[in-house]
Amino acid sequence: MADMKTFSESDYFRKKKIQKIIIYIVLLLIAIYTLAPLYFLLVNSFKGNVEIIDSPLTLPKSWSFQYIISAASEIHFFKALGITAFITAASVSLIVLVSSLAAWIMVRNKSKASSFVYLCFAAAMLIPFQAIMYPLIQLFEDASLKNIGGLIIMYGGFGLSMSAFLYHGFAKGVPRGVEEAALMDGCNIFQIYSQVVMPLLSSITVTVIILNAMWIWNDYLLPFLVIGNTTHKTLVLELYFARILAGQYGNPWELIFPAVLITILPMLAIFLSLQKYIVKGISAGAIKS
Amino acid sequence: MNIYKKWFWPLVAPALILFIAVILVPFVVGFVNSFLAWRGTYYFNPETNSRATNILQSFVGLTNYKEALQDERFMHAFWYTIEYTIIAVIAINVFALALAILLDNISKGAGALRTTYFLPNMLGGLALGFIWQFIFQIVYTDILFAPDSILHNEFLRYMTQNSNKAMFALVILNIWQYAGYMMIIYTAGINNIPVDFYEAASLDGASAWVKFKKITVPMLMSSFTVCLFLVIANSFKMLDQNIALTNGDFNTRMLALQILRTVKDTTPPNYGRAQAQAVIFFVIIAIVSITQVRVTSKRELEY
Repeated sequence: MADMKTFSESDYFRKKKIQKIIIYIVLLLIAIYTLAPLYFLLVNSFKGNVEIIDSPLTLPKSWSFQYIISAASEIHFFKALGITAFITAASVSLIVLVSSLAAWIMVRNKSKASSFVYLCFAAAMLIPFQAIMYPLIQLFEDASLKNIGGLIIMYGGFGLSMSAFLYHGFAKGVPRGVEEAALMDGCNIFQIYSQVVMPLLSSITVTVIILNAMWIWNDYLLPFLVIGNTTHKTLVLELYFARILAGQYGNPWELIFPAVLITILPMLAIFLSLQKYIVKGISAGAIKS
Repeated sequence: MNIYKKWFWPLVAPALILFIAVILVPFVVGFVNSFLAWRGTYYFNPETNSRATNILQSFVGLTNYKEALQDERFMHAFWYTIEYTIIAVIAINVFALALAILLDNISKGAGALRTTYFLPNMLGGLALGFIWQFIFQIVYTDILFAPDSILHNEFLRYMTQNSNKAMFALVILNIWQYAGYMMIIYTAGINNIPVDFYEAASLDGASAWVKFKKITVPMLMSSFTVCLFLVIANSFKMLDQNIALTNGDFNTRMLALQILRTVKDTTPPNYGRAQAQAVIFFVIIAIVSITQVRVTSKRELEY
């Protein structure tokens, strides 16, 4: 009897082990599939057109940077990088400041006006960009704001509602007693906000920064409509116009591959260095909202 | 505390002003303009065939809506988007949930795998769309699924040059890009399910499938609400990948791209009609999203 039992038990564990091995194999295959496009991107950034078409899967014959260098100058890489970084940083700062202030005071001052404003922000999330883009561009053009400054304001408006929503959920968890104690100590409202509330909201601030930065950095349509084909383009716009221009003569893969590679490189670097916060931040945002 | 009341409007004001300037006013103007012969920079007077001297003269009633609904390209884009959304919502969520559950079963290396699956989401849709265009046109067509390959499959070749196939190409691209994001949301939901639920079920002799059906799915309802909402919105508004893969050629325009191209298809650019299409677009998204959130959140459990 005892033997029977140990036999079936070891059988059970063997079954579990096989199951685990199968899971690992499946997950690894999916991981390879996920990384494959990035592999193509990397190896083909060092090849000329002929080599790309003839042997797209193999390592390049020589790791020469000539295609990357000419792509970088073609899309004005450093200038575009600076512009993209500036637009992203300014827009995200605006979103964080404005939405946290509004969400926090809305949680603290429960009133009809407060719930009405909340409702407006919630409704705004349902409006697709396409429904307002043409009048928006026209209005901003009339106000001489069809430029990078106007673009930042627009991002402020679009990023606002979801961010205010996230802050609203988390501001409820800030203990009111701490704020009142700070008030007793003679702090004014801005000191309470910056020294008491914001530090307690830092985890959701990370989420808000990540979600908005990802979207704004990679956005194509809004910069296309606002900046268009001028001399101050973002990275995505430079890439788009380079593709359109060169695409008139067939597919210019020897330009596209290195251009895509260098445009995603900054985001890739940021992601790899901050991956823990990013994954955590997205889970945090999803649970509360 | 009175201080909060006193400071309510000053602190809400910046957000409110941004909301009014960027969302509310353009939305209202856009709605009004969908009833006008709007040409972008000016208003047209259809009776005198010249520029309208005041806005009322360019009022055309429901003409823009009628034209939009009779526009073959718009209607094609409409059904194309609906079909794409149904397929993509199911495919992305099934894939993401499967990844989350599989990852929940292992411990070593789970973090690295999770990071890998999420990675494509950080990279832009337009940039990666160009790379996928290459994959579909060269790697899929000439190598992986070519006639002399053991995986030979005609359906997976020349995917970007056919309306139907391109829809599945878009699905493949978007699973690759979004499943990792949704996986993280499902993982967060799975981690919130108390382990004793599963232990109790195991003692009662429940199979893995029964546990999945009776515990995992009901307990994940709030994750379903979020993920379905995000994927539905994303699929309806899909633009960058659409432009990068086919640029709307071969009858592959989705609604977002159609609204963008309507002003290029017409001379002089008919912004009024594009705006009517945009209003229809908004109504569909609002109805679908509200219905979905209502239905799934009704099934959320409190415990």
